[in-house]
Amino acid sequence: MRNFILRYLLPRLGQYLVVIFLGVTITYIIPRLSPSDPVERQVAEIMVSGAHFGPEAIAHMRDALTDMYGLRGSPIEQYLAFWARMFQGDLGPSLSRFPTPVISLIARALPWTLGLLITAVMISWVIGNILGAYASYYEKSGIMKVIDVASQAVRPIPYYIVAVIFLIVFAYFFPIFPAGGAYPVGRRIEMSIWAVQTILRHSALPALSLVTVGMGAWFIGMKSLTSNIISEDYVVYAEVTGLPQRKILYGYIMPNALLPQVTGLALNLGMIFSGALILEVVFVYPGMGMLTYQAVLANDYSLIMGIAIFSIVGVATAVLILDLIYPLFDPRVRHQ
Amino acid sequence: MPLLSVKNLHAYYRTEAYGISRTVRAVDDVSFELQKNEIYGIAGESSCGKTTLIKVISGSIKPPLRIEGGTMTYTFDGRDVDIASVAPEVMRREIRWKEISYVMQGSMSILNPVRRVRRIFRHVVDTHQGIDDKRKFEALCRDHLKKLGLPPDILQAYPHQLSGGMKQRIAIALATIFRPSLIIADEPTTALDVVVQRGVLQLLKDIQAESSNTVLLVTHDMAVHANVADRVAIMYAGTIVEEGPTEVIFGAPQHPYTQHLIASLPVIGDKGTRSALPGAPPNLASPPSGCRFHPRCPMAKEICRRVVPSMIQLDTLHRAACHLVGEREEA
Ligand SMILES: Nc1ncnc2c1ncn2[C@@H]1O[C@H](COP(=O)(O)OP(=O)(O)OP(=O)(O)O)[C@@H](O)[C@H]1O
Ligand code: SF4
Ligand SMILES: [Mg+2]
Repeated sequence: MRNFILRYLLPRLGQYLVVIFLGVTITYIIPRLSPSDPVERQVAEIMVSGAHFGPEAIAHMRDALTDMYGLRGSPIEQYLAFWARMFQGDLGPSLSRFPTPVISLIARALPWTLGLLITAVMISWVIGNILGAYASYYEKSGIMKVIDVASQAVRPIPYYIVAVIFLIVFAYFFPIFPAGGAYPVGRRIEMSIWAVQTILRHSALPALSLVTVGMGAWFIGMKSLTSNIISEDYVVYAEVTGLPQRKILYGYIMPNALLPQVTGLALNLGMIFSGALILEVVFVYPGMGMLTYQAVLANDYSLIMGIAIFSIVGVATAVLILDLIYPLFDPRVRHQ
Repeated sequence: MPLLSVKNLHAYYRTEAYGISRTVRAVDDVSFELQKNEIYGIAGESSCGKTTLIKVISGSIKPPLRIEGGTMTYTFDGRDVDIASVAPEVMRREIRWKEISYVMQGSMSILNPVRRVRRIFRHVVDTHQGIDDKRKFEALCRDHLKKLGLPPDILQAYPHQLSGGMKQRIAIALATIFRPSLIIADEPTTALDVVVQRGVLQLLKDIQAESSNTVLLVTHDMAVHANVADRVAIMYAGTIVEEGPTEVIFGAPQHPYTQHLIASLPVIGDKGTRSALPGAPPNLASPPSGCRFHPRCPMAKEICRRVVPSMIQLDTLHRAACHLVGEREEA
């Protein structure tokens, strides 16, 4: 155990912190390379809006903005101040919705995205992998052939097209589900059956689109992984010893074929923090994807930066967790 | 009463790719008998059809391999069983591992890499005997391993923590846990160094001596046969070309191919170079006409090219298929 901590956990944690540090630093530097000065731009925008300010008021505003954007002092001082604010969870104010802090915009959007994407990714991972393994192991089964053809057909269609199709069919032709949004505008979210139902009804179509496409992808991957594992000696041996097929599938084929899929799942979950951009726009879903979209449209680089930082931390954390739990699935990488 | 009687067995791989069909005649007109309580060796160079023959007689045929003719009859406790017509479910429950067990070629990789060794024992025992009691199961495995001289701790190990020799021994332990009538071992020593080889062979011999069952030992390594087998069959290009008691095969081989195999065995103190057989092993998708050995046979005659030599019984236990042998017998 001591060895595990000293020789595995600590170095791995160190690596994790370095990755985040570098990623965040790059996100910090890039917008600063742009020649436009955000303070001047903001001031110009306010002037253009027609309001009239005296030169003193403008100077005062400039001063306040410089502070808020953390643009005071030498580049090094700015950078250190940036990290100091980061540690307090302060990502600065949003430019487009000034002066709302970026962090509170993200805090509002994140639960929607996490709820939708984690559910959809998990469902499609589980079903896609089980079906993929079955389809490859029971090659002759008719249902499996149908599923196979369907996944091959869905595979090349981008998920947002699938989303639009679902939207047209289930929201317009057969108005079973609402066409967009996640919750009635203006209502506070309370803990009630009605609220839960409403949320589920609103996220049904986005989730269905994600699951359809995601499942197809996992299915195809798992099918080819399984067909490789099937010819491995230990599977042939299990057959020769007369083990029942179910045992061979769940005890021998799946645990081996799933190893790369576990890695894939972790990376997928890490990516969740940036949301599903086009999908959220199609369904007017108030998650991280929508937030990104608005940030890009509004040129809100402090918001973009905040989202990017969340994505970096998300992916790095997912990879870290994967590295820590992977030995549970594959004893060969266990630390001696 | 033999344990297994194989008559005129034919088994081919029929494959089709890009509209071209190919037939690999991997087992072509093979007949032999396995007696109870003996170690029977099958020798022959790589890809002559040894593993295919085993797959067929152990009832583990899967496409593209198909039986194209012949019979295989086992006699278990006075009951005749035609292995080709046994229902898969009966095969799985009653014959596999209880009557016929199989140490597969490449036993190094028969263990599931992500599970402890105990798990495969558990599965095999569950399938064929169904011991619910965990302690009874544990005791059964530990006793069995101890009897074979293996440390019971290996149950706790993952395959990658074990040496090749140990994995091979585990394969043998798994194959013998229910004392089957027939243990088939395909190249059990090929990937092992000489010292470990000796241990594995001794283990097989001890098990056979102790339970008086039959061991079918397949290997291209003639030295192994010399040390272990009671009788040896020599295969060439999907057919058996000679069969006899081990002393006869090594002392007075009759078929030119057998003679070549024996002559190329290393002899201590001998510094002369060994004659290598000219030519390559035949392609079983289009084997040579007549005697399949004729393109490489130093004694080939005109007739060899045209006529398939028939099997000549030289002695009660010794037979060979070669025109030369036939002529000598007639004279
Ligand atoms: N699945 C298959 N499909 C087609 N041909 C096959 C298949 N398996 C084996 N063969 C062919 O059948 C022939 C006999 O193969 P087999 O494995 O029985 O030889 P072997 O004597 O066991 O060789 P080795 O000593 O290398 O194990 C070879 O020509 C091989 O290429
Ligand atoms: S039959 Fe002819 S070719 Fe074949 S082994 Fe005998 S002598 Fe050689
Ligand atoms: Mg072989």
